[in-house]
Amino acid sequence: MATKKKRTSNVDNDSWVVIAPGGLENAASLYMLGCGDVMLYEVKAFEDDFHSWFVGQAVQRDGRLIFVTPLDPLFLILPYLIKSGKEGKFQRVDQVVKDEEFPACSRLLSCARTLASLHHIAEEKEVESQMYHRYSQEKTMNWLKKKVERTVIALKKKNVSVGEGVKSSTYVRVKSETDNQEEDFIRYSHGLISEYISEDLSKALLTHLGLPELTSPKETEPPSKKRKLSDKPVEAGEDYTKFNSADFARKPPKKMTAAQKSLAKVDKTGMKPMSSFFSPKVKAEKK
Amino acid sequence: MDLSPFEDDNSVSCRLVSEIPEVCKTEDCCLGIDEAGRGPVLGPMVYGICFCPLSRKEELKDLKVADSKTLTEAERENLFEKLDEAKSYVGWALQILSPNTISTCMLRRTKYNLNALSHDTAIDLVQYALDSGVQLKEIYVDTVGPADKYEHKLSQRFPGIQVTVRPKADSLFPVVSAASICAKVARDRVVKGWNFTEDLGEVDTDYGSGYPNDPKTKAWLLKYLDPVFGYPQFVRFSWSTAQTLMDSKAVNVHWDDDEEDGEKAAQRQSNKSMLSYFSVSAGGSTSAPKK
Repeated sequence: MATKKKRTSNVDNDSWVVIAPGGLENAASLYMLGCGDVMLYEVKAFEDDFHSWFVGQAVQRDGRLIFVTPLDPLFLILPYLIKSGKEGKFQRVDQVVKDEEFPACSRLLSCARTLASLHHIAEEKEVESQMYHRYSQEKTMNWLKKKVERTVIALKKKNVSVGEGVKSSTYVRVKSETDNQEEDFIRYSHGLISEYISEDLSKALLTHLGLPELTSPKETEPPSKKRKLSDKPVEAGEDYTKFNSADFARKPPKKMTAAQKSLAKVDKTGMKPMSSFFSPKVKAEKK
Repeated sequence: MDLSPFEDDNSVSCRLVSEIPEVCKTEDCCLGIDEAGRGPVLGPMVYGICFCPLSRKEELKDLKVADSKTLTEAERENLFEKLDEAKSYVGWALQILSPNTISTCMLRRTKYNLNALSHDTAIDLVQYALDSGVQLKEIYVDTVGPADKYEHKLSQRFPGIQVTVRPKADSLFPVVSAASICAKVARDRVVKGWNFTEDLGEVDTDYGSGYPNDPKTKAWLLKYLDPVFGYPQFVRFSWSTAQTLMDSKAVNVHWDDDEEDGEKAAQRQSNKSMLSYFSVSAGGSTSAPKK
C-alpha cells in the first residue's frame, strides 16, 4: 500500500495529497496530482531490511524506493459514489465527492479521465446541460471485469507466475501448466484489483467473474482418540488417590541401602529443593 | 624488485616473480616459504618463496641470509641485493595480499580466515614454481597454525616432495630466510610508498609499525576514521582493532548476515526466552513476560 503518513496542513497547495482510498484497508494514503491536477498518481514505497542509499555526496539511511505510478481516479471516486448511491438519487458529482477529512478529494474531479469515464460506474442524466450521476453496481461490475481482463493480459505479457502455491512473484515455475492456468490468472488479477476496492465489491466481483470463493482449508484437528464403548460405569483404571491418604504421608522407608544411609547423613543445611530452581522469585524476574 | 604492478592497483592480490634460473629446471631444488606482515592492522601481507638447487644450498648460507626479524631494514635491503646478484641459481616469487583482499576475505559471507588464506597462497606459489619447471624435491615452511596439520596438508597436495614445517624455520633453513627477506623487503617498500586511492589530501604517513599495539598506529587509526566509510583501503577492516574503533566511533551499519547474540536475535523475532516458561509468577498474578 501507499505510505500512510498523515499530512494535515499545506496539502492543498502542493501536488502531494492524502486521500482515503476506501479500499481494503481504508487508511489514508498519499497520492500525487500532476500536470495541474490532470493526472493522478499513487505513491508506493519499496522497503526492505538492510538497505541504504548513497545519493550524491550523502547517505540516506533507509533504502526506500518510492514509486509514483498513474492511477485511474475512478478507484478513488468509487467509494463516494457508492455511499451516496445508497440514497438512490441522481446527484451532482461535485456534491458527492466531498470529504471534510480529506478536502483534496474534490480535486480528483479535475483529472482528465474522471468526468469522461464516470459513465463506467454510474448512470448519467442530463438536465438543463447539468450532469447528474447515480452509482450503478451493474456498470461497476462490468467495468471492474474489464480491468481484470486487462490485468490478465498484462500479467501474461510480463510472464508473472500465478496460481496456488505461488507466494512470490519472483517464483518461476520450471514447467508451465496449461490446464486451469486461465482461472489462476483471473484469480491473481482479481486479487490485484481487490487492493483498490472495498471487500464487499471484491466479493461481488468474484461472483461476477463466475468464480467460486476459495475456502481456505480449515485447520485440521487431530482425530480424537477412539474410545471403547461399553455399558459399564466409567471408572478410573488405576486409583492414585490412595497415595494421598494421611497414613501414606512420607514415612521413611524402613530399610535403606548403605548408600542411602550415607546420603541421609549428609548435612543438608542451606540446600534448596530441586523445585526451587524452576520458580525464580517474582521480583528477580522483573528486569 | 619492480613493485609497479601492485602499485598500479593496490586493492587486489598481486604476484611478483624473478626470472627462473635455468639450473633450477634441470637440477633438484629446495624451496623455502615465509611471510611478512601477518600481524599488522595496516598494509599488505606478503608471501614469499625462494628456491635454489640442492647442491648450492650452502652458498645461500654464505650470503649470510638470516631471519629477517633480526636484521635492520638497511641490512635486509642489502641482502636482497645479494640475492638478486645470485640470480643465476636463486629464484623467488612473491604474492602481495592487499589489506583490502584480507578484509574482504575475512569479512565475506562465508568466512575465509587468515590461516586458510595463508595456506592457499603458499600452495599457489609452490604450484607456480612447479608450473615454471622448477625441479622441486624439498620444501621448508615456517608454520602457520599447527605444524603437523600444515605439513600433512602440503604433503598431500604435493606428493613426491619432502615437506618440512617447523616453527622458526626462517632461522633454521637459509632458503626460508631468503624467502623471508624477499617478503619483508617487498612489504616494507609497499607500506612506505603506499598509494592511497582515497582522496585524503596530504596524508600523514607517520603510522608507526602498523601493529595494533603501536601507539602511533592507534593514533593514526583514530585520525583517519571516517564515520560513514570507516578507513582507507590501507587498513585491514577485519582486525579487531579497526572494528572496535568503528563500533564505537563510526555510524552503525547493519548487514543482513550480522550475527546477533542469542538474546538479541530472539528479541528481533519476538521469541520468548526459554526461561519464561519456567517462571509461573507466584500468587497467581499473571504478569506478561517482559520483552
